[in-house]
Amino acid sequence: MIAAISEFANRFLGRGDATITVPSFDGALKPNQLLEKAETLFACDAPEDLAVDDQSLLIADGARLLRLTGSSPTVVRSFERPISALAVLPAGRVAVALGGTEVHVYDNITAKAPASVFSGDMHAVNALASAPDGTLIATDGSTLRGVSDWARDLMELGDSGRVFQLDPKTGTVKQLANGLHYALGTAASGSDVLVSESWRHRLVAIAPSGARKVVLGRLPVYPSRLAAASDGGFWLTAFTARTQLVEFVLREPAFRRRMIAEIDPDYWVVPRLSSGHSFKEPLQGAHIKTMGIMKPWAPPRSYGLVIRLAADGAPRYSLHSRADGVNHGIVAAVEFGGDLIMIAKGPGRILKLPLAHLDEGIGA
Amino acid sequence: MSEIILSLSKATKLYAGVPAIDGVDFELRRGEIHALVGENGAGKSTLTKVMAGVVALTSGAMMVDGTAVAPKTPLEARQLGIAMVFQENSLVPTMTVAQNLFLGQEKFYNRLRGIYIAAQQFLQSLNFDVTPTATVSGLGAAKKQMVEIARAVLHKAKVIIFDEPTATLTPEEKKYFFDLVRDLKKRGVSIVFISHALEEALLLADRITVLRDGKHVVTDDASRFDRTRIVQAMVGRDLSNTLYGARKDKVRTAGRRVLTVQNLKMAPMVKNNSLSVFAGQITGVFGLVGAGRTETFKIVSGVMKRDFFHGGEILLNDKPVRYRVPAAAVKAGIAYVTEDRKVEGFFETASIARNIYLGLLAKFPSGRAWLSRRESNAAGRAWIDRLKVRATGDDIKVVELSGGNQQKVVIAKSLIQDPELIIFDEPTRGVDVGAIVEIHELINRLADEGKAVVVISSYLPEIMALSDRILVSRQGKVVEEFSALEATEEKIMYAAIH
Repeated sequence: MIAAISEFANRFLGRGDATITVPSFDGALKPNQLLEKAETLFACDAPEDLAVDDQSLLIADGARLLRLTGSSPTVVRSFERPISALAVLPAGRVAVALGGTEVHVYDNITAKAPASVFSGDMHAVNALASAPDGTLIATDGSTLRGVSDWARDLMELGDSGRVFQLDPKTGTVKQLANGLHYALGTAASGSDVLVSESWRHRLVAIAPSGARKVVLGRLPVYPSRLAAASDGGFWLTAFTARTQLVEFVLREPAFRRRMIAEIDPDYWVVPRLSSGHSFKEPLQGAHIKTMGIMKPWAPPRSYGLVIRLAADGAPRYSLHSRADGVNHGIVAAVEFGGDLIMIAKGPGRILKLPLAHLDEGIGA
Repeated sequence: MSEIILSLSKATKLYAGVPAIDGVDFELRRGEIHALVGENGAGKSTLTKVMAGVVALTSGAMMVDGTAVAPKTPLEARQLGIAMVFQENSLVPTMTVAQNLFLGQEKFYNRLRGIYIAAQQFLQSLNFDVTPTATVSGLGAAKKQMVEIARAVLHKAKVIIFDEPTATLTPEEKKYFFDLVRDLKKRGVSIVFISHALEEALLLADRITVLRDGKHVVTDDASRFDRTRIVQAMVGRDLSNTLYGARKDKVRTAGRRVLTVQNLKMAPMVKNNSLSVFAGQITGVFGLVGAGRTETFKIVSGVMKRDFFHGGEILLNDKPVRYRVPAAAVKAGIAYVTEDRKVEGFFETASIARNIYLGLLAKFPSGRAWLSRRESNAAGRAWIDRLKVRATGDDIKVVELSGGNQQKVVIAKSLIQDPELIIFDEPTRGVDVGAIVEIHELINRLADEGKAVVVISSYLPEIMALSDRILVSRQGKVVEEFSALEATEEKIMYAAIH
């Protein structure tokens, strides 16, 4: 009873859980336009994930698996369904998630048939990572919505994300965690598993016992995939930034219900991977668009961000593409050949930034 | 007519046997701007108070227009043509601006409307944007200062003495003030002004007198001084490299996030303000008057309250907090060192030790209802030594200390609480050069110890010398962040204005 009164009072006063606030981009997350300065290696139709083997960079582009060895990519193989996640395992094995519902493990990239296939209970597998014990960690965003239907899951305040441990040797699947608010991205950190819990804007460490610990919380963005950095720590990507407008909508169930029922999904008030394509979009930078130019600090409908994390999860520095930029919707980043390679899913680009420049320029 | 309008010879003033000024010779020429500089406790305020009739000389002589005088009250001094604009403003807060302007000059029959019209015309002639019908208590520090200045000008003084006139003014207001002083000079008024901003003395003054420890050190034409010479004369040592030193070539790495402010609102001053403060770092907050910096951190420390509806969120160590009174914030580990130490910083008639001990009592759990004199004295002694508070005794009242030492007492009162987050609001305002260096060293030490430190300052060299990261505030919110490595005065000022 008291809890109900308290909740009502909070909703009325805008306090507690009803506080519509967004953390600021400051400290290590101080905005810059470094992602806008990144070189575009090439454009893709539907880039989704990256992985690195000994000699080359692998790119999941729709249903195609591309390999970049020189300056241009070549198609290695094609699948019947879009690749939703990609990982390279020890000994040259490759794991791909197809359509979010199946994970295939191949002994090598050109092997005709998969050595192992995991399916069944998986619904929206969106990230794969190799664990030190030879197993494969997979994050399953939602049990209700498919990989491409993440915006609906957000609007429904989805909390059915799971983390699986897949063992290619035995073919067994173990659920490490459930009830996550959209698990999107994972990496091994010692014996723990780091997972991006996107709708709660945080990074959690899941111990083998299942115990969870928040490593990095209250992010001003929706975190996505993780990748290990060569000198310790991680690269955390964020596919878009939080805004007060979306936070407000997330606290208004009646509005969301009507929006989902009546409005074309393209024009929902939700975060997007890219923006500026139609005048029907909810334009949030309007009042700070002066002389026809959008100010970089305008509230973004889409945003690009990569955060360099230390080994303990503390942010060291970050790379941004702000509201007036183009390289938005960063969903994957890996180190390759002294560069940081990233996918900007919004414009469909593979980006490259020299690592030495980053560490000297802003990470020092 | 003599060139010298006012002079003091062998002027000595003793307080309880201790000389505040000791055998000082001073001459003010007709129509000159004369700057008085020196550390706090050097005797500048005492010297000017003697001129203004606030205190009487113990020995020595004062002459105005060649006649020996000894004004015993400010009224007597004013009748001699000497007016003083005090550092602590001397306006009646419950009266209107116009009433304050004409206070003491009222006619037998006064029409309020007539006073307002006269005040309006007069303020307009000075280009001061102050409403004559406004109550003084509702004015900001800068506007109060303007009223003080206007009152002195209105009294048609031959000599006007300004004690730290620009401390609370914005750059634009300072420019107005400088123009006004130059205009007064053209009219033949002689100006004495005390300033800790040495650039102002060099820019504005015709001659500069430096005092140290109550004694006259040097008087010379301003053109023969530079910053280094003034500082050396003031402190007897070269501080030019330690005070507001060279650009930082290294900054401290941010520790964990201690304070998070999200979309904080307090109409009309704080508008959707968001920022973070990290452990082991000095976060400098720069902004012009009215940027909402002080208000934001007063809300953080429970002194002010955010908007009742949708006022935003404050998190201390990632936990939402809302303090109704400052004591709760103190207990949680937040210390706020006020910008207005005379009003909010200490009990001026209590001893140094008692003031410092009161800071500790503020953190004690409820139930403690007694004061321990021994404990109080021990705590006071320890902090007096640690912060090098210069006083003739532990039981001396705080009001009797110089500005720099008063500030150290205010800081000690906060540090005795062993806070996790320390907010310094204008930590060196009205503080002498020597004390500035000591206070800056202390602030740096706190950050090195891992404390989260916030420094709010309107003085760019101070912000740039101290801060590891600089937040620029404008119109109620943080609009830009710079690393100390990339910041320049131009970049910061541009962000603060545009």
